[in-house]
Amino acid sequence: MERSRDNLVRRRGGAIRLLAAVVVSVGAYPHFTLGQETATFFKQNCYSCHTIGGGRLVGPDLKDVTQRKDRDWLARFMLNPQAMIDRGDPYAKQILEEARGVVMSQIAGLTRDRANLLLDLIEAESALEKSQFEGVKFSDRPFTDEDVALGHQLFTGRVALTNGGPSCISCHTVRGLSLLGGGRLALDLTKVSERIGGRKPLSAWLVSPATTTMQPVFRDHPLEAEEILPLVAYFEGAAKQVGDDDSVAPLTFFLMGLGGMVLVLGLFDVLWKNRFRAVRRPLVAGGEMRTSA
Amino acid sequence: MDSAQQYLDQILFGVAPYLALIIFFLGTIQRYRAQAFTYSSLSSQFLENQRHFWGMVPLHYGILVVLLGHVVAFLFPRTLLAWNGHPVRLYILEITALIFGLLTLLGLLSTLTRRLAFSKIRTVTTPADLVLHLMLLVQVGSGVYLAVMHSWGSSWFAASAAPYLWSIITLDPDISYVLAMPFAVKLHIVNACITIGFFPFTRLVHVLVIPNPYLWRKPQVVRWNRDPAAGRGGS
Repeated sequence: MERSRDNLVRRRGGAIRLLAAVVVSVGAYPHFTLGQETATFFKQNCYSCHTIGGGRLVGPDLKDVTQRKDRDWLARFMLNPQAMIDRGDPYAKQILEEARGVVMSQIAGLTRDRANLLLDLIEAESALEKSQFEGVKFSDRPFTDEDVALGHQLFTGRVALTNGGPSCISCHTVRGLSLLGGGRLALDLTKVSERIGGRKPLSAWLVSPATTTMQPVFRDHPLEAEEILPLVAYFEGAAKQVGDDDSVAPLTFFLMGLGGMVLVLGLFDVLWKNRFRAVRRPLVAGGEMRTSA
Repeated sequence: MDSAQQYLDQILFGVAPYLALIIFFLGTIQRYRAQAFTYSSLSSQFLENQRHFWGMVPLHYGILVVLLGHVVAFLFPRTLLAWNGHPVRLYILEITALIFGLLTLLGLLSTLTRRLAFSKIRTVTTPADLVLHLMLLVQVGSGVYLAVMHSWGSSWFAASAAPYLWSIITLDPDISYVLAMPFAVKLHIVNACITIGFFPFTRLVHVLVIPNPYLWRKPQVVRWNRDPAAGRGGS
């Protein structure tokens, strides 16, 4: 009786310890929002599509944006652009049209407080004669065949990106790449130059890619200007490609895997050809082995 | 709605991995201390050995290669990305991974149908076995789907999933790596957590009993000394 009570107490103690460990781990759960300064946050999340006083990129120039629209509306738009468009807000729809249908991505880690801090920053930078976010200056020399070839090599990873970022083929494809094509985690980039609005917005976008998935990956591994130019040259060339559509690539890939699987199964059968197929069953079924012996 | 989504994401990708790991470690240690002899795969080869071969062999060799791939990409993401720098090498790696992923899927389907089709095996099947089978089917099924429909997994795992997993391990979770991933990726991650949390309560614990010579040992035959006249078998 005493022992069973001890066991019960011990078991309860174990359960309480487990519960305590869970509670402590959840309670001690580290911060989720990034502890970045507002300017860094702007650079990593906004600067690829917006300048402050440098003209339009994919999105509008944000100089004096708080004079064009009230802060509450701006904060709501920043927090969920798609929802504002879906609700039929006329100004949100106008922004969408001016951006040639490119919807502003939702920004990971953006809160109402962070949005207000960003608006403060934009107001302060707008008041300056020359904002630090006026835009990156890019070479506008005509693209050469060498640029396109280097862009292709950067896209496929044959030439590694200087700062260690993954090559584009990891997640993206373009038309006419090869038999199995590029990655299909993210968008097909064949028409990316046209979609984003040409050389300047695309170059600016590549300085700090701001989609939720790319932003953390390239945050510490940014592209160099010498890499952006050939990549943009390659994308502009890709848009003119008339090669075959590679939408059958996943099927081809799957069939190759299936064929390989059948081969390996055949290999297993050969490797274990001496496996014991029917030694036990006669014994279990009626002792035939015993009688024959 | 958005804050609810953010909260859910934080729970699923920021908290659930820790809960799963805590349950995994405490559960496996407690089970080993209290019931060491239950650390077994509870093999049913003894009851049926024909379909067993076509389930167990592809399942085990498949899952070992696939898991090894995940571990290598987690530990050496830069090396893997460098290897994938040549499209031919990327394609060879991806096709190999898909072959072994499909072997795992085939093995799982084979073991599940065997469990349901043979009455002897059904008798020794517990609800936990069926739940585990379902979890593994979701895991491997979503993995194969990702490999085919969201290529190239080896590269984007090294670029996005590896740093996410490192952020978990280093107790500084950065869920931004996975927030915008397709549904199948999120399912794969969440189901992995559920499976790791469920691990201590299943026959999967046999994975921990290493060294595991099953992979290379010679086949062993269990003989029953059965007396037909008495109508019952000995051990």
